[in-house]
Order: sequence, then C-alpha cells, then structure tokens
Amino acid sequence: MKGFKPSAPFLLLLPAMIVLAAVVVVPLLLSLYSSFTPFRLTRPETFFVVIGIRNYLSILSNTDFWWAFGRTVLLLTIALNLEMLLGLGLAMLVEKATRGQRILRTLMMFPMMFSPILVGFQFKFMFNDNIGLVNNALQSLGITQDAIPWLIESHLAFIAISIAEIWSSTAIFAILILAGLLAMPKEPIEAARVDGCTPWQTFRYVTWPFVMPFAYIAMTIRSLDVARAYDIVKIMTDGGPAGRTELLWTLVARTAYSDGRMGMANAMAYVSILLSIAFTVYFFNKLAAARTQIGAEW
Amino acid sequence: MDENSSARLKRRLVGVVYRIGLFLAMLTICLPGLWIVLSSLRPTVEIMAKPPVWIPQEISFDAYVAMFSGIGKGGIPVIEYFRNSLIISVTSTVIAVAIGMAGGYAFARYRFRGKSSVFLGLMLTRTVPGIALSLPLFFLYVRLGIIDTHFGLILAYVALNVPFTIWLIDGFFRQVPKDLAEAAQIDGCTRWQAFWQVEFPLAGPGIASAAIFAFLTCWNEFALASQLTRSVSAKTLPVGLLDYTAEFTIDWRGMCALAVVMIIPALTLTFIVQKHLVGGLTSGAVKG
Repeated sequence: MKGFKPSAPFLLLLPAMIVLAAVVVVPLLLSLYSSFTPFRLTRPETFFVVIGIRNYLSILSNTDFWWAFGRTVLLLTIALNLEMLLGLGLAMLVEKATRGQRILRTLMMFPMMFSPILVGFQFKFMFNDNIGLVNNALQSLGITQDAIPWLIESHLAFIAISIAEIWSSTAIFAILILAGLLAMPKEPIEAARVDGCTPWQTFRYVTWPFVMPFAYIAMTIRSLDVARAYDIVKIMTDGGPAGRTELLWTLVARTAYSDGRMGMANAMAYVSILLSIAFTVYFFNKLAAARTQIGAEW
Repeated sequence: MDENSSARLKRRLVGVVYRIGLFLAMLTICLPGLWIVLSSLRPTVEIMAKPPVWIPQEISFDAYVAMFSGIGKGGIPVIEYFRNSLIISVTSTVIAVAIGMAGGYAFARYRFRGKSSVFLGLMLTRTVPGIALSLPLFFLYVRLGIIDTHFGLILAYVALNVPFTIWLIDGFFRQVPKDLAEAAQIDGCTRWQAFWQVEFPLAGPGIASAAIFAFLTCWNEFALASQLTRSVSAKTLPVGLLDYTAEFTIDWRGMCALAVVMIIPALTLTFIVQKHLVGGLTSGAVKG
C-alpha cells in the first residue's frame, strides 16, 4: 500500500486520546488525589492536606454506604436479568409476527428514545399515590380501596424504580436480540426439527447459542451506562424515603454537592467507578468468548 | 380425524394467546408515553381529579402556549433552555463525529499492536458514571472559569460521545469492502482521496446515524448537566425540567408538555436511524 505510514493509526487516534485524556483521565487522576484529602468545597485550603486512606477507611465502616452499594448491585442484578429475559421474549414475539413487523419493531424502540430523566419523571407521575395512573387504575378496577404509597414506602419505591429502569432498557436487549434472530440462518433450526428436537431443545441448543453474542453486545452497551439509574432515582425518590432507595450514585452526589465533602465523595465515586468497570470488563470478556464460539460453530 | 381437529384447535389457541401477549407487550411499552401526551393536553383540574376522570372532557394546548410565551406566564424559560440544548448538542456532536471518524477508520483499516486493549481502554472511559466524573470536572471548571458555560458542557459531551462513536463508525467502515479503496488507489487516488470519494460516501448513512446517536446522548444527558450548569445561560432542557418541581408541588401538566417537547426531536431522529444503528453495533462487535 502506497503512502502507508506506520504511525497512521496513532495519528488518527490522537484527537480521541487528547480529548479523553483532558476530560476524563486527568480529572479522574485529580479526583483520585482529592480522595486522599479531607477536601471540602467551603474550605479550599483543605485540598492540600493529605490524610492518606482515611476517607476509604471511614467508607468501610459507613453503613449507609454499604447499604447503597448493596442496593445498587441488587438493582443492577434484578434489572439486567429481567431486561435480558423480557428482551428475549419481546424479540421472539416480534420475530414471529407475520404482518406489520416494521411497525412493531419501531414501537419496540419507543422507550429507548426517552431520556432517563424523562423516564424517572414519567414513572413518578404514574406511581404518584394520589393522582397516579397506577393507583387510579387499581382503585377504579376495585382491586384496592386505599391509595398504595408507591414512592413513599421503601420496598415499593424500590420496586417502582426497578420497573422504570426495566421499562426503559428492555428495548436495547430486544432490538439487538431481534437483530440476531433475523440474521440467523434457518437451516440449522429445520435440521434440528427434522432430527426430532422439541421446540425447547431447538431453542436451547440452536437458537440461543447463536443469539448469545448479540445479547452480550446489549449487555456491554448497558454496562457502559448503568449509571443512568442515577437520573431515574434522582427524580423518582431522590434517595428517599429516609435514604431507603439511595444508590451509590445518588449518595455520591449528595455527599459532594449537598454536604460539600468532596474528598469523601471522590473516594465513594472511585468505588462506583470500579463497580462500573468490573461490569464492563466482565461482559466484554463474555462477548469475546461468545464471539469465538460463534466463529467456531458457524 | 379427532386428532386433527384437536391439533387445529390447539394451534388456533396458541395463535390467540400469541396475539394477546403481543398486544399486552406493546401496550406496556406505549402506554406511559401516551399518558404523558394526554396529560399535557388536559387541564390541571382533570389531572388532579378524585375520583379520576378517565375520558378527557376538554383538550387544549394551553400548557404549550404558556410554555413558549416567556418567563412571566409559563414559569420557566423554555426557549432559552431549548436554545442551549440545541447549541450544545449540535456542536459537540459535530466534533465527536469528526474525532470518531478518524478513530473508527484507524480501528477498521489498520492493524496495530495492542488494538483490542486500546479499544477496551476507550470503552472504559465511557463507563465512568456521569456523576463521578462531574466531581473533578466541577472543581476544574470552577478553577478555569468555564462552569455554567456552553463550552464547558460541549467539551464534556465530546468526551462522553467519542468512545461510542468510534465503536459505531468502526462497524460501518468494516462493512465497506477494503478492495474498493484499494482499487481507487491503484487507479491513482491518494489514500486521502480514496477515503473521501469512495469509503466515506459508502459509510455515510452509518456515520449519519452515529451522529444522531451522539446528538441524542447530549440531548438527554442529565447527571453532568445538572452539576455543571446553574443559570439560564447554559441550562439544558433535562435540567430545566426540574424547574417545574417546587418544594412540595409539581406542575404536572407543564412538566408533561415540556416532556413532549423534549421527546419529539428524539423520536423523529431515532426513527430515521434505527436500521443503521443496529447494523453498526452488531457488525463492529461480532466480526471482530
């Protein structure tokens, strides 16, 4: 190839590197440093006092933090698993449709267009105990007489948040899994049927292995923005009632901006960053594994 | 004979169950959005009514009129927020796509050492939760004096979008056969010409959808915007939405109307790109 320079990819990637270094990497190093200080917004001089890992030690014994941590992991586990299952179900429903598949596909993408903050607001509206659609419907149908305090009682609030989160993100799974189903060759399924597989066996041993990498792409994309739950929670309950729906991210925001304890908040933020990275790396590896499996089989 | 008819019955039953399932699924997906639209058109009295009014008695566009008639009447400066959102989203999208094109081309067309780890590294920068990133950015921006400015938010959004645009555009360039550009080069094009005259037009629709995706990310972003902007001069629509929540009361109708205003551009743009989006995500990732 004429005009090929060994440094071409480097030059092409340089702008991306510069921007990311300036806006992500350097600020993160700064926040790493400040997580070792007792920095408070109201007292700038504390920025230069290094107290070592005392912030991290106090996080270790901070029960609020660990509750938020556990709740975040729980929410992600519930949400991601249900999104995957529902997305798979939805994709198979739509794939089966003989007519109007285009319209169905478009409808299916509908929740993706809502920004998380709108999702939060819309479900806050629907789950409102007094005027919300959910309670109104339940009361009109005579299922319950009382107004159910969806966003006020802590367990119900958690459920409401999970529903909002699942509603907004199932579409990503459904779309990518549907892409996988549509790209799949039909012969192996027919062969399996001829060989006497039950529908379940056909699904389990033929369809699923093929669709899996697509599901992992969806997982990877989702893990890139798991923190969008922050917007939803911020709007729906703002961590309430009494901190019972506090997630890592809302806790970080509260510590930093309401309490002004930047050093502590940065230490917490690092834990949440590590959590996100762990999710991404895990799914990225799964993706790579699924990809090689596909390469071997098809 | 009996077996036949029972099999037919069973099949019909399965068909009915399938239709109902599909209908319920689509209803769940669409209902929240439709409810918002409906609520934005109803008078507040009807939204608040107890027992609930299910069938709207009167429909009006009052909420929209109030919203766009300035601060005094609508309560919040929607037009300014809209303008801020538009300026910030468009500028950062253009920059992010330019950078993403260079990066995506590098991943799609060159082999270099540590390629997959560079790719993973780029993706990892995207995993940093917005709120965690906002802490150091807030501090830096205050120091640099670019807090509460368009520039500050644009810069942050470019960085937010670059990894994902690279992923998408990489996928689109992979779909363009390498031979085409090589043939053009044999015919006397420089690599630069071959790129602009052969590869770019072919990957064009894909790049456009990457751009729209980036635009939507900016348009919808809240965590960073809520901390890095404070005043009317830089607040974006998602942050402006919060203006409708007072301490104890929420103007539901106004909020619904603003939600509709926010969702319409997003809706239109997503419809345009949906086909390419899925293609870009999967081809980049599956074919390695």
